[in-house]
Amino acid sequence: MKQTRIYIPIFILCVFFLVPHVYADSSSPVTKTLETEKKDPAEIPAQPKQEIVTLAEPQKKEVENDFTEEDEKVLTIADPIYPWNKAMYHFNDKFYFWILKPVARGYSTVMPEDIRIVTRNFFSNLATPVRFVGSLLQLRIKDAGNELVRFVYNSTAGVLGLADAAKSDFNIVRRDEDIGQALGKYGIGHGFYIVWPFIGPSSLRDTIGLAGDYFLDPVSYVNPMEASFGIRAYDEVNETSLRIGDYEELKKAAIDPYISIRDAYIQNRQKKVDE
Amino acid sequence: MSDAFRKKGARTNIFRRLPMMKRVTGLSLIFLLVFPLYAYAGIPLDTVKGHINQVLDVLRDPALKGEPKKKLKKDKIRTISEKMFDFDELSRRTLGPNWTKFNPGQQKEFTDLYKSILEDAYVDKIVTYTDEKVSYNKEIPLTEKTTEVQTIIVTKKADIPINYRVILKEGAWRVYDVVIEGVSLISNYRSQFKEILMNKPPDGLLDTLRKKVGKA
Repeated sequence: MKQTRIYIPIFILCVFFLVPHVYADSSSPVTKTLETEKKDPAEIPAQPKQEIVTLAEPQKKEVENDFTEEDEKVLTIADPIYPWNKAMYHFNDKFYFWILKPVARGYSTVMPEDIRIVTRNFFSNLATPVRFVGSLLQLRIKDAGNELVRFVYNSTAGVLGLADAAKSDFNIVRRDEDIGQALGKYGIGHGFYIVWPFIGPSSLRDTIGLAGDYFLDPVSYVNPMEASFGIRAYDEVNETSLRIGDYEELKKAAIDPYISIRDAYIQNRQKKVDE
Repeated sequence: MSDAFRKKGARTNIFRRLPMMKRVTGLSLIFLLVFPLYAYAGIPLDTVKGHINQVLDVLRDPALKGEPKKKLKKDKIRTISEKMFDFDELSRRTLGPNWTKFNPGQQKEFTDLYKSILEDAYVDKIVTYTDEKVSYNKEIPLTEKTTEVQTIIVTKKADIPINYRVILKEGAWRVYDVVIEGVSLISNYRSQFKEILMNKPPDGLLDTLRKKVGKA
């Protein structure tokens, strides 16, 4: 009797430590491999072993310290119209610092932040067709449905889209989808890098996407044309007022801002296509 | 069967013959043997979280409010970033294959310059934060030694996904890459450095960085 008593604490200890270990298994590769090492190879069922492989595989390239392989992972984009792009980059840069930023600054001093956020929600809700069709084209039926639900709910309960009620009430979040991403999903590459005046970084593929987005955005159908542009410009100023400082920081952190922006653009677009 | 039983009995006897203190030591040993098996689960996330919380504490410290205390605040954040980031790994991965073109002295200087550029760029940004909340989503293993900790900074204006890639070295998880909205920090700098190194030797790049640091 006395002899068995000593096993009880040991047993409890083992259970105590092994149970979290088992649960934590799926979240940590280290745990898994350590455990695998300890066990007799014959005892390991084939299933978890396979899991390790699939977990590590997608990122394998990146983490091996083999630099040539790691380097291959760098996303690149052709830039055959570099002189045009660079000129447009400078144009947009000046446009931002000389016009857009001062206007947005002035606007933000008269307009409280809450109102500016509400305005952004309104425009975002208006642009639902872009995201809806973008999702549909990617056959993301659930996302398309979510967009529809968001539009209906935010337009009613959210009062004309002023509040993102779908997010706060049901945690249905907005997903940025557009035609360019849908094209990317079909395996269409960027083609080459294009910087547009006022619009900024884009690519051949995303420019075609932007043309599609234009026709899906209700603001494009406002008559007369001047009013439509006016609304766009207001949306832009409002958006900028909420992002003052972001561009400055990017520039400050960069060694070569043109390349930094180009790289950030393709990395960000790649992420959106992959999602 | 009986053989195994006898062994078991023998072990218990030895165990029981030991004085109490030694028995406690024995138990601790078992504890230590079992513990490392799961010690890493959740650790990457907790490490990142711990460091971010330290930064948030500095930002919210009422004693550090106001303009004159700004420098002190920045210094404190720099101290935390030293612990949080593995700047060697970060530099090595940023340069990629070009790393070997640098001699050890140049590698050291590159790491130092790169570090101050990053700190200058991001510490200024961080000290402007006040009411931001950070939610820690999950950790995704990349390889045996690397993991991605996914977080979201929730601000009034927007939710910004920030993922920290951490590597296990000498028992500690430290950050070697930060991915914001899908944009990897080291990849972004790699593309810039690559362009410079196509036309200039390593010292040319170092010179560019020296100028940048001097200016900042």
